[in-house]
Order: sequence, then C-alpha cells, then structure tokens
Amino acid sequence: MVTQARRAPLPTVGRRLQGRIMPAIGALLVALLVLWLVVNFIKTPAEFYRLFLIGVTNGAIYGLVALGYSLVYGILELINFAHGDVFMLGGMLVATMVTTFGLADDSGLVLWSMILLMLVIVMAFCAVLNTTIELVAYRRLRHAPRLAPLITAIGVSFILQNIGLVWKGPRPTSVPSILPRGTVFTIAGVPYTWDKLIVLLFTVPVLVALLLLVQRTRQGKAMRATAQDRDASAMMGINVNRTISFTFFIAGGLAGAAGLLYALYITNIRYDEGFRLGLIAFTAAVVGGIGNLPGAVLGGLVIALIESFNNGLSWATPGSDWTQSIIFAILIIILVFRPEGLLGERTPEGV
Amino acid sequence: MGGVVLKKRYLGLLALLLAVLGVAAAGCGGDDGGGGAATALPSASCGPIRYEGDGDPDYLIASDFPLQGANRALTTEMADAVEFALKQRDWKIGDLTIGYQSCDDSTAQAGSWDSAKCTANARSYASNEKMLGLIGTFNSGCAKLVIPVLNRAQNGPTPMVSPSNTYPGLTEGGPGTEAGEPDNYYPSGKRNYARVVWNDQFQGAANAQYAKELGLKKIFILNDGETYGNGIATLFDQYAKKLGIQILGNQKWDKKATSYEALGSRIKSAGADGVFFGGIICNNGGKLLKDVRAAVGPDVEFIGPDGWTPISATIEGAGGAADDMYISQPGIPIDQLTGKGKNWVDSFEQDTGKSTVDPYTAYAAQAAEVLLDAIDRAGGADRAKISEELFNTDVKDGILGNFKIDENGDTTLGTVTFFEVKNGEPEFVKTITPELSFVGG
Amino acid sequence: MSSTANRRSEWRSQVSETLRFDAIRAQWRRLPRRVRGAALPTIVIALAFLYPYYRTWLPDIPIFGDVPTVDTGVTMLIYMMMAIGLNIVVGYAGLLDLGYVAFYAMGAYTAAWFASPHFENVHVHAGAIGVNPKAAGFHVSIWLVVVVAGILSAIAGILIGLPTLRLRGDYLAIVTLGFGEIMPQIARNGDNLFGTGFNLTNGAQGINPIDPPGFGATLNRWLGLPEDFLTVSNGINFFYWTALVLLLFTVFCSVRLRDSRLGRAWIAIREDETAAAAMGVPLMRTKTWAYAAGAFFGGIAGAYYAAFKSGTFPDDFFFNISVFILCMVILGGMGNVWGVLVGGGFLAYLNQEGLGNIGQEINKNLGTNIDVPLYQFGIFGVILVVMMLFRPQGLIPSERRKMEFEEGVADEPLYDVRHAPDG
Repeated sequence: MVTQARRAPLPTVGRRLQGRIMPAIGALLVALLVLWLVVNFIKTPAEFYRLFLIGVTNGAIYGLVALGYSLVYGILELINFAHGDVFMLGGMLVATMVTTFGLADDSGLVLWSMILLMLVIVMAFCAVLNTTIELVAYRRLRHAPRLAPLITAIGVSFILQNIGLVWKGPRPTSVPSILPRGTVFTIAGVPYTWDKLIVLLFTVPVLVALLLLVQRTRQGKAMRATAQDRDASAMMGINVNRTISFTFFIAGGLAGAAGLLYALYITNIRYDEGFRLGLIAFTAAVVGGIGNLPGAVLGGLVIALIESFNNGLSWATPGSDWTQSIIFAILIIILVFRPEGLLGERTPEGV
Repeated sequence: MGGVVLKKRYLGLLALLLAVLGVAAAGCGGDDGGGGAATALPSASCGPIRYEGDGDPDYLIASDFPLQGANRALTTEMADAVEFALKQRDWKIGDLTIGYQSCDDSTAQAGSWDSAKCTANARSYASNEKMLGLIGTFNSGCAKLVIPVLNRAQNGPTPMVSPSNTYPGLTEGGPGTEAGEPDNYYPSGKRNYARVVWNDQFQGAANAQYAKELGLKKIFILNDGETYGNGIATLFDQYAKKLGIQILGNQKWDKKATSYEALGSRIKSAGADGVFFGGIICNNGGKLLKDVRAAVGPDVEFIGPDGWTPISATIEGAGGAADDMYISQPGIPIDQLTGKGKNWVDSFEQDTGKSTVDPYTAYAAQAAEVLLDAIDRAGGADRAKISEELFNTDVKDGILGNFKIDENGDTTLGTVTFFEVKNGEPEFVKTITPELSFVGG
Repeated sequence: MSSTANRRSEWRSQVSETLRFDAIRAQWRRLPRRVRGAALPTIVIALAFLYPYYRTWLPDIPIFGDVPTVDTGVTMLIYMMMAIGLNIVVGYAGLLDLGYVAFYAMGAYTAAWFASPHFENVHVHAGAIGVNPKAAGFHVSIWLVVVVAGILSAIAGILIGLPTLRLRGDYLAIVTLGFGEIMPQIARNGDNLFGTGFNLTNGAQGINPIDPPGFGATLNRWLGLPEDFLTVSNGINFFYWTALVLLLFTVFCSVRLRDSRLGRAWIAIREDETAAAAMGVPLMRTKTWAYAAGAFFGGIAGAYYAAFKSGTFPDDFFFNISVFILCMVILGGMGNVWGVLVGGGFLAYLNQEGLGNIGQEINKNLGTNIDVPLYQFGIFGVILVVMMLFRPQGLIPSERRKMEFEEGVADEPLYDVRHAPDG
C-alpha cells in the first residue's frame, strides 16, 4: 500500500553525517557483506546453493506472514501483535485436519483436493478470527491514543497463545508429512525438492493476486484511500469501518494460508511459535518498507537468507549462536541508512 | 503537587525514614511458629494443601516446579508423584500429619522458571516453620537461588531434595563448575540439599566414553543454550577431548527457530561422523532431529543425554528421524524397574489413570521418599535435624533401586543406561559406569 | 458535566455539614499552602513505608484474595521504577521503545560484574557486605554499584540512541526492539565472547551469588542500620524500604525532569517535532537525553533487582519483559507519573502473585477445579484487553495528554508526530 515514510528535514548533525561519513560506512558494510558471501560461494559453492534454496523457501513463508502485518499496518498504523498467533492457530487447525482426515496415506488427486479444501477452511477460519479480533479489540479504540490498540493487540496475542496451549498442549505438535518430497531437479549435487517448490509456487500467485486486489479493484482503492486519510475517505463516501474489516479479513486469510504452508512444510507447530514468527515477519515488513507489499516479501527473503547463510556457512561465520543478533543488526543498519526500508518510498515532508 | 513544597517534604520524609528504620532496627522477631495446624504457603505460588488424612495437617512439605510453559506436562505429573508418595503413607510420618502443596516457580510472562519467583518462593518456605522440606527445584538455575535462602533459614537449614537438578556445581567442584562452588550455596556452613539424580559430570563422561566406543572421531556438538543443555554440552566437550575425539564445533540451536536445515547443512559440510545434542526434547528437539537427519544422511551417529527422555516423546516428536539415535539416562529406565520400582509404576499409573510415566516422575517420587524417610528418622519436626538425616539416606530396594546419598548430597546410583531407537522403539544397549578418577578430572 | 459537578459539591457540603467537619476544615485552611500540598504525598509515603507492619491485618481483596506479600511488594516497586524510567522515553518524549529490557539487563549485569565472585582473576574488595574477604572477583558496595549501573546504562542508552534516534515512530520502535533482542543474546553467548575465551556474562549459567545489600558493621553500631539484609531477621522489610527509597528518588527525579527546560523540550518534540525543531529545540540532543534518563533508572532498577534476587540469568531478559513494562506505562496513563506508578504496581502484582490468587479464589468460591497455571497467560491477556477497552487513555491519563487528545492532535499517533504538520 502507499503509506509513505514521510520524513522531516534531518537535524544538522545528522545531515553532516549523512553527507560524507554515513555513506562511506554504509558502503563499507555492504562491501564486507558481499565479500563474505563471495568468498563463501567460491569455497563451497554447493553448500552456498543449498543454503540459498533453504533461505528462499523459508523467506516465502515469512513473506506471507509479513504481508498480513503490512496490510494492517498500512491501514491502521497498528503493529498487530496478534497476527502471528492467528497464523499459529491456523497451523494447528491444519495439523488437526491432517490427522482427522487421515491424509498421511493419501496421494495424487485425492491429496491435492483435500489440501485445497483445507486451504479454504483454514483461510476462512483465520479470516473470520482476525475480523472478529478487530471488531472486539480494536474498533472501539479507533479514536483512542494510538498505543492503546497496541496493548489490546498484545492482550489478544496472549489469549490466542493460551488457546493454543490448552488445545495442543505445551509440546510441539508434529504434523504428518504429506507434501511430496521427491526431487524436481539437481544442480551441483544439491536436489531441489517438490515441497520447496510448492511453497514458492504458492507464494508468488498470492502476492500477485493481492497486488491486483489492492491496485486494480474498487475495494483496493478504498483500502488505499483509507490508509492515506481516513477522514477524507469517509467524506468521499467510503465505508471506513467496512474497509478496515475487509483488510483484516484479507490479512487473516493470508495468515491462514501461511499457517497451512507452515504446518505442511515445516511439519511442526507449537503454541508460542506464532509470536516469534510474527516478530520476524514484522521485522521483514519494516525491512522491505512497511506498507509496501512486494517489500514485505522481499524483507522476508532477506531475513531468511541471512538466517540460512549464517547458520550454515562455515568461513568467517558467527553461526547459529548469533543469528538473532545478526538479523537485528542488519535491520538496524538498513534502517539507519535507508529509513524508509528497501522498497519504501522516499517522500520528503514539509519542504 | 508541584515542586514548590518539595524541600520541606523531603526533610519530613528523611525524618520519617530514619524513624522507621529505627523502629525496625529496634528489633521485631520473625513470625512465631506455635502449635496447631500448618499455615498454608501463599496461594500466589502454591496450590491448595493436598491432604486426605484426619483433621488438618500439622506440617507441610512442598514441591517447587515450573508449572507453566513448555515443561508443564512433566512438572504436573511430578507434582502428582509427590502427592502419591504421601498418600501411600496415609499422610502421616510417625505421629506427624503432613500435607502437601505444589508450588509454581514460573510466571505468565516468562513462560518458564522466573528468578524473582524462585527467590520469593524460597523466602516463603524458609519463613514457614511448618514447612518441613522441599521437593525441587526442577531447574538448576532456580536451585542456585533457592538453596542459599533455605540454607539461611532462621531455625536451621530447610531440607531440600531435587529430582532433576543436574548442574554439578550445586553439590561439588570439578569440571563444569565455577570457583567458589558449591560453598557459595551454603552460607551457614551446613548442607541441606540432596538430589536423587546424577549430576552432569557423570553423564557427560559416560556419553563421551560411549562415543569413543562407537568409534566416532569427529563430533559436532549442538546445545540449546539453557542451563542444562549448555552445561552438559560443555562437559561432553571436555571429556570427549580428553579421550582424543575431535570436536568440530559447539553451536547453539534456537528453540524458536523455524527450521534447522541450514544448521544441519553446516554439520554435514564440517564432515562430522557424530552429533551430540546437549539439550532437551521440549526445546523443539523433534524438528531439530528431523532437519539434521535429513541434512547429514543416515550414517552419522546421534547421541543425546537424558534431556531426550522420555524416549517416547523424542520418537513422537521426530518420527523416523529419531531412529538410530543413542539416548542415555542416569540410573535404570522406568520400564526396566524391578521390585518396588515396578510396583510403584503400576500403582501410580492406576492411581492417575496414565499409561506412560515420565522417568523424571519416578525421580520425583524417589525424592519424596528420601525426604519423608529423613523426616521419619529425625523423629520430629526439627528442620535442621531432617537436613542432617538426608545425608544418612541409604535406600534399599527403592523406586530407583539401591543407593545412598553421599556427604555432598549426590546419589551413589552411578549407572548410566544407553538406549538406541530402533524402528520407533527404544532398545536397551548397555550400561556404563564411568571411573570416578575420569569424572573428577 | 456541570450538573454532576453541582450535585457533587452539594453532596460534599451536606456531608461536611452533617459530620461537622467545618471546624477541622477551617483549621486545615489556616495551615500554610505548602504544608497542605505536602499532606497527601506524606500520608501515602508513610502508608507505603509502614506496609510491612499492618499488612497482616488487612482484609482479603475480593477476587484478588490476599494482599501482596512484602516480597511481592519489592518486585512491584522495582517494576514501578522501570515503568517510570520507560515513561520518560515513551510518555514524555513520545519515542516508542520496544527494547527497554536492554537497560534492565545492563543494570543487572553491572551488579553481577562488580558485586559477585564472577571474575576469578581479580580480587578487589570495596565496601561489600557479607562477603568472605578471601573471595575472588569485584566486591564493590552495592550502593555504589547501583549508581554505577545507572551510569553505565545511561551510556548504553546514549550509544544506542546516537545512530538511531534520527528514525521516527515505528521505525525507531523496531530498532529498539532489535537492541532488546541483541542484548540477551550477548548475555547468553558472553561466556566466550567472539571466541576469545573471555567470560563476560557466564553464558546460560548466569552469575550468582550477587552480594547482598547492607550497611556494614560501623553503621550498624552507630545508627542501628542493618549490617546485612540477608542475615538480619526481617531482611525482607529492609529490601522493601530500600526499594521504596529508590522509587521515591526515581519519582522525584522524574517529576523534576518533567518540569524542567529539558522536560518541556521533550513535550514539545512529542507534540510536534518539526515545530519544536523550528523553535530551536535540538532534536537529537533532547531525544538522546530522554534515552539516557530512561536508561539510567532502568539500570538502577535492574541492579537492585539483581541484588534482591542475588543472581542474574540471561533468561530474565526477554522481549516479553519489554512489552510488559510498556504495558505498565500505557495502561497506567502515558506521561502521568502517578498513573504509571499505579499501572506498574498493578501489573507487576498480577504477574508475580495476582494471577495465581485470582485462579485460587475462583476455585475456592465457585467450587471449580481449574488448573490455574494453565490459564494464567490467557487471564493476563483478558485483563489487558478489558482494561484498555474501558480506559483507552490509561487509568490516570496525564492532563496534558488529555488536552492533546481532546484537541484532536490525538488522531495522529501520539508518540509519532510525523503526520501532524502535513500541509
């Protein structure tokens, strides 16, 4: 969407820094990063490629969750902490359905139609859940101080986590692996498997459809208008409440779809997993430029790739002990040098 | 309330403060014990008194486990085992009637043990003179905070028996401990803490020996970054190096990570022929095993300490990826218990209606037995005396077999049992009893 | 509005007439203004100080059961202190900070470094109480350590602030969140920092025991102050009173800061950053000061908390704690010191003691058999949602905030004024 990061003129010190020193530091950091990647690529190309595939696949899932954050943030400027937990409950619903439908032994057309059915069910479930949350916990606070809904979002997140805990217990729920895991093609001895491909094949159309929805349809236009100026769009005859509900509905559907992919591809889901993934997804949305939909997916990819390379490479790599720190350090660096995010629009304000 | 009045107010405040401190320093003793029924521990942390005997109980014992978060399935079962131990004795030791309270050292925010809660609980145990002893804690980190408070209790050290603290430094020095341990924890100079589970030195040594026996040369260590996992991984590292095994790396796995494929890929490219998993199944262990197994292939050996028990949970979490994994467990496995242990498992299962019992539940039951026996031998409600009696423990045909508690508070039950998962079933492999000279470094 | 006010004053005069308080009231009015102004705070402070004495006589609170123990009281006071510190950043200056736990961690580890046997190779004793004179490590008097912790945290705040405070609104929030995630990881991996073998934080094992507070033998002899909080018979009361004194100091500083030139600059930035800059308020410096001040109190609270618990572990510092403290500030009423005190005390009480009590009370009164710890998390969530729905401005909103709110500035994000001057 088009909520821009409007910025005030920089203070003088910042401006001086911005002028000479900051770009130099920025260029140096990027150069180091590129050097690290290149050396590792030359030393172990097969590993590098394998990690790249892992990163891209995880990134697609992060991106799907991040899209939901970005949509809601774009329209309400609310960090919807409950989003990750909606996603988690969706995953749990899928886990339950896979077992009750007994899909572990199915294959072929039956399997795919069942997966499609599950997709519809879980998307509807999460969409309704998300819309209900907005109705109960956020709508009344539409005119309250902006941090008030942040707190209800946290409260709702706790409630949803508790529901997940009571539903599936404290241990992770293992989902039977039903996606085909055969090899699609092999490069440099590294196989590319079907389950990874399916994740990508799923994310790309969703993103395209979402973009079309937001940019080409009337409803999308209403969403963009509401995001830009709620009062003005109300005056123009847009039903603001319905538009916001619709946004939550779409975001919930995305969370449901991500939940399905997560449950089937990762095959493991636990009650507190949504919150953490939500945090990463929100970070991804900011890295990409919050409110910018392709940016959210790009941010997800960037984070997942960092994670994957740092966990898996061996030359001059801090390793999994520091993954979290490195993700956030890179986030901080990106924001310091490009405060509007990777794909965010730079729109000067006031001048 | 502007700043106008502040100066005057401050003078007054200072005077008030001094007055209050004066009053306090003038001395006002602790709560008096007196006779009569036991006062319950605060309901903020502790459940209601469980007692089914006549009238109200005169005294209490309590357990201290994290009842919220990932370990809850296990800890609630352990609490039931403590209650069951008392129930079997008709809530009575000699002529003392004893009730039981299950206390929680976790908070909603932390989702696991919380250091502030641990100390707060410890103070409430220490100040309640009707509280004769504690079964706990579950986490070694929490024990580090609780032991000194109970040790310093007004009328003599309060006895404490842990079913699951494996950090070595709580009872003795040596490998994997820090300077000053364990004396740090016993400011009164008297010991009040015993445990029925082996400390990690033994298990780390046994695991290293077994890795050597398997012919492993290059091992990659993973740990979950928590007190237990990090501790056992470090010890395994030390002992394995002593045996000439090369350690390729000791990395943390993030329990909240989405996948561990990349980590597995790193282990593969490092060329390891074995992986040691220092951590617990609850920290996303199932997913970890799946991903690492997928990355390294079937020929690399997996070894895990007792954090991966109950083995059924590992199998349930990891599915086929758990196959061929070796899992060690201090003492004798629950389904191989004989005599009293077997009886206990049967009657506990009957009492609670459960079909599988976690090994640590047996430890909780044994810890309760050790404490209750010590109360029996002390012949009264003197906490200092009960603490002393803990170290005279000599269990014959107990739930866990035959063992004693040595002068440090460690059990002499020195066997470590190894299992291999085969086709989704744990299979007994062998037992190892490491030499004391090797363990002590 | 006016009719209720009339009714209320009518009712008030009736009551006073019937009870014949007139004489006392007249007497009261004759007292100097400053004495009258000091009366309420003095009473509150006195009641707080005497709490350990009358606690046992207090009746149960409905729903919540027992009144908080003195032990919980200490935790509440410490969290209140942190909430006041965060309030400077979020409430006064309007900068959303999702990583406040970093400063708490900084304080706690400072206490752990300078008042424990952690560093095995040094042997420095400077006024620590109750420590074996042969023990290794730094053993600095805990009172000094608390101050040092505050200063180090403030420095950390400045270092974090300098590169990032240029960012606005949620971008700043996400950067602070980043620091809040990085700090605990450093604590967790700090037993072998960057492969050098230097043990900074002792990793997952945490650092303990941390030396107890106390006044030492000399002060004990001359003033009767307790020598060592851990060995004295009613030590918990001394922990409580010390925490209370620290809190009073924090509140005092916080109020004075708010009314100072700097405080007005913060509020100006909060209300309209661009206008403030145009009026000559140095944005970076002013914001950095807000960070430093907030961090200072977080550090003090962290250090004292560590000494109270006598240990510090990396597990104590999670994102949840940052969010928890933020909830205290917002729930209490951003910007209002008294509101934040109430919010902080209440939530800390809930987490430490209240949630368990509520469950037990429900079980007792309704005869149910709910497994309380299983539902605590959810109950906490319900309380947050319900309270926020009924008091969106917080329990005690700040007057100025209310004004901003009613004048319509509040349609824009309160902590983020980037939209305000939009032409």
